[in-house]
Amino acid sequence: MTRLSRRQFCMTGLALAGATPLAANWPAAAQQLKGGTLRVAVLTELANYDPQQLSTVNFHVIKNLYDSLIEYTPDGKPEPSLATAWTISPDKTSVNLTLRDGVTFHSGTPFKSDSVLATLQKGADPKRGKNVFSTMSIVKDWSAPDDRTVTINFKAPVPERQILDLLQFLLPIDPKGIDTVETVPAGTGPYTLVSRAVGQGLRLKANPKYWRPNQPVTQDLVFTVFTEDQAATAALESGAADIIYGGSSRSAVRLKGAGYQVFAGPGPLVQVFRINSTRGPFRNKSFRQAFNYLMDRQSILRVGYAGMGQEVALPWAPASPAFDAAYTKTYAYDLDKAKKLIAASGLSADEMKGWKLLVNGSDESSVSISQIAQGSLQKIGIPVELDIRQGAEYVSALLGGDFAATFGAVGNVQKFPSRVATNSIYRTSQNPVLKDPHPHPDYVAAIAKVDASTGSAAEVKAAYDNLNKVMVEEAFGIPTNSYDVGLIVASDKIGGVTLDMDNLLVARTIGFK
Amino acid sequence: MTGLAAAGRLLRRLLARRGAVLSLAFLALVGCAALFAGLLPLDPLRQSIADSLKPPSTEAWFGTDELGRDILARVVYGARTSLVTAFGAVFIAALIGVPVGLVAGFYGDWRDSVLMRCIDVLLALPNILFAMALIAVLGRSQGAALVAVGVAGIPSFARIARAQVMALRQLDFVTAVRGFGGGPGYIMFRTILPNALSPLVVQAIVLASIAILLEAALSFLGVGVPPPTPSWGEMLRTGKSYLYEAPTYAVLPGIVLTLTILSFDTIGRAMTALIDRDETDAVRETAGGRR
Repeated sequence: MTRLSRRQFCMTGLALAGATPLAANWPAAAQQLKGGTLRVAVLTELANYDPQQLSTVNFHVIKNLYDSLIEYTPDGKPEPSLATAWTISPDKTSVNLTLRDGVTFHSGTPFKSDSVLATLQKGADPKRGKNVFSTMSIVKDWSAPDDRTVTINFKAPVPERQILDLLQFLLPIDPKGIDTVETVPAGTGPYTLVSRAVGQGLRLKANPKYWRPNQPVTQDLVFTVFTEDQAATAALESGAADIIYGGSSRSAVRLKGAGYQVFAGPGPLVQVFRINSTRGPFRNKSFRQAFNYLMDRQSILRVGYAGMGQEVALPWAPASPAFDAAYTKTYAYDLDKAKKLIAASGLSADEMKGWKLLVNGSDESSVSISQIAQGSLQKIGIPVELDIRQGAEYVSALLGGDFAATFGAVGNVQKFPSRVATNSIYRTSQNPVLKDPHPHPDYVAAIAKVDASTGSAAEVKAAYDNLNKVMVEEAFGIPTNSYDVGLIVASDKIGGVTLDMDNLLVARTIGFK
Repeated sequence: MTGLAAAGRLLRRLLARRGAVLSLAFLALVGCAALFAGLLPLDPLRQSIADSLKPPSTEAWFGTDELGRDILARVVYGARTSLVTAFGAVFIAALIGVPVGLVAGFYGDWRDSVLMRCIDVLLALPNILFAMALIAVLGRSQGAALVAVGVAGIPSFARIARAQVMALRQLDFVTAVRGFGGGPGYIMFRTILPNALSPLVVQAIVLASIAILLEAALSFLGVGVPPPTPSWGEMLRTGKSYLYEAPTYAVLPGIVLTLTILSFDTIGRAMTALIDRDETDAVRETAGGRR
């Protein structure tokens, strides 16, 4: 029997103790997985490498090139990543971060507090902050007492969950590459960029200096862009791809039936019938409220998303602390109730017509569910035409508020409730659709109340309940259903899939059985 | 023989061909369905989500689509969309293209150069691209699709009309009319045009098939007739997403579309062959007379 000296015993014990927290985060099966080249079929072309531009088109690369300060487990518990520890002050006006040692960016630059400061600086810049900017609205300032410590101060006491959401949303960028991050990735992530063919795909290789032990499992990560969902499924079925990321729910249902593995993360999107309450009949509150009952949520979920998801009348995923299933029952599809509200609006038949339903023609689900809404409106005597626009033309109209009503998904629905205000239709200021001053001050006040509720659980719940009530009353956004974004469909030889809180693709733990 | 009499004779000879008769019969069926769709117990817009993607059955002969609508009803009403677009497009193309070709061919001077260069510009643009650009300007509607397809068809009519005028304007009967004091307008539209009608009718038939295909292509690309108006191209576009669950959804409208285009083409080709034979016979007769 081999005997360990006291020194060896202590060193081994320390090593095991240090490795345990990391190993705990790593799927057990991943430890028996083999490496190789992981071929991923994606349906979207990457927009850029900026980790602060968290749009779905970038979801497949962000967590493979960058790391967050903290991560969430699929059930919402925070865990260390580039920040090994965080301490929130008792008055909840600041958070103190301890940064991980021994981490380097892809360029070789050591990861230190200066990169977190540069990332915060970028996020707080209205032009460069992209999706992080609105989240930074709670931040007053920041400082770095030393290379391994960062302190972030808030303008007012902030609920703990909101602070954690901010930390999870921050992915440190190499200060040397921060100005060119849209075209050249500058992260600490498990993979580094090898090449990209615009419109075709990109190739990444394992970061040899990656800080998580034994990760990434695969040496090469190859993304191929497919413009058609059917082409991507054919690639998987023929063995030309190992994984489809971001395919349609309908394909996922079919492939699951054929024996493929399907993974849905905890961060779905919620489909929302967005109403421009500054236009035509939509200025009338009673008319808008009728749409709470006009949405045939069951049909929308079935036709648009193959039944994968959940009917909702509020913009929350089930994981959200503000989720309330009772609203779905209260505001179920009911044409009689809708008719009563429309009659109560006092609008004439002519006043209710003359608007078009903007539709994203590039998204088949949107075309189908818009026709369901059109059919419901037709049944109560409001004929509307569909204004179908493609690609950039649609996005421009959506984000510029150039519509009367349209379906559009919202994200961040599984996190702190006020994060819903990061979506254009729910913004409380500088809302591109509803403009300033915000036409729904009760909603703005309800969001502010949620942000300010740092007291007892009862106080917090009351703030959430108030927000839910105001949302259905103001009715400028009518949620219909949650649905999975970033669905992963994998062949049976794939293992070690890690679900990300935002449903981003985390390839570092994936390998071959 | 006048142009109309020639056309009548052409039709009689056409009916002697089996392929042409079958094609005419199919087109008559599609045309009747489109014309009398309102009298049939079919509703192309009625949704029944609970019955979505059902296979063909006695209740729904072609099955149902993703919204539970009757695919047969949508095919029948889609025929109306396709035929209206086709005939409308042919009308627009002939209305502009034929006079342009007549004027260019009859005068043959600077007017010919200017008009033909304009036609060349239209010819240089791929039809589908030109139609998409026009729809982007006019907005997505059946009217816009009709105009776009019609404008794309102008060059072919202009070219054929011009070629016919250039061949006919030197003939004796035209010189005679001129000698009797016939003005340019009279000669072009009352003397030459009736004698140039046969190839233009053939071109109209060929363009109708192209127009149906182009309309379907535009709808397939998502820029044609907006839903819920039934359109064969739109059905193909949506149906291809359900090829695994409901193969008949895309296949049956696709077959109807194919057969319709094939029928138009068969008739057009048969008429071209008959006209070519007439011309060859006429040349032989002329050559024999001279001999």
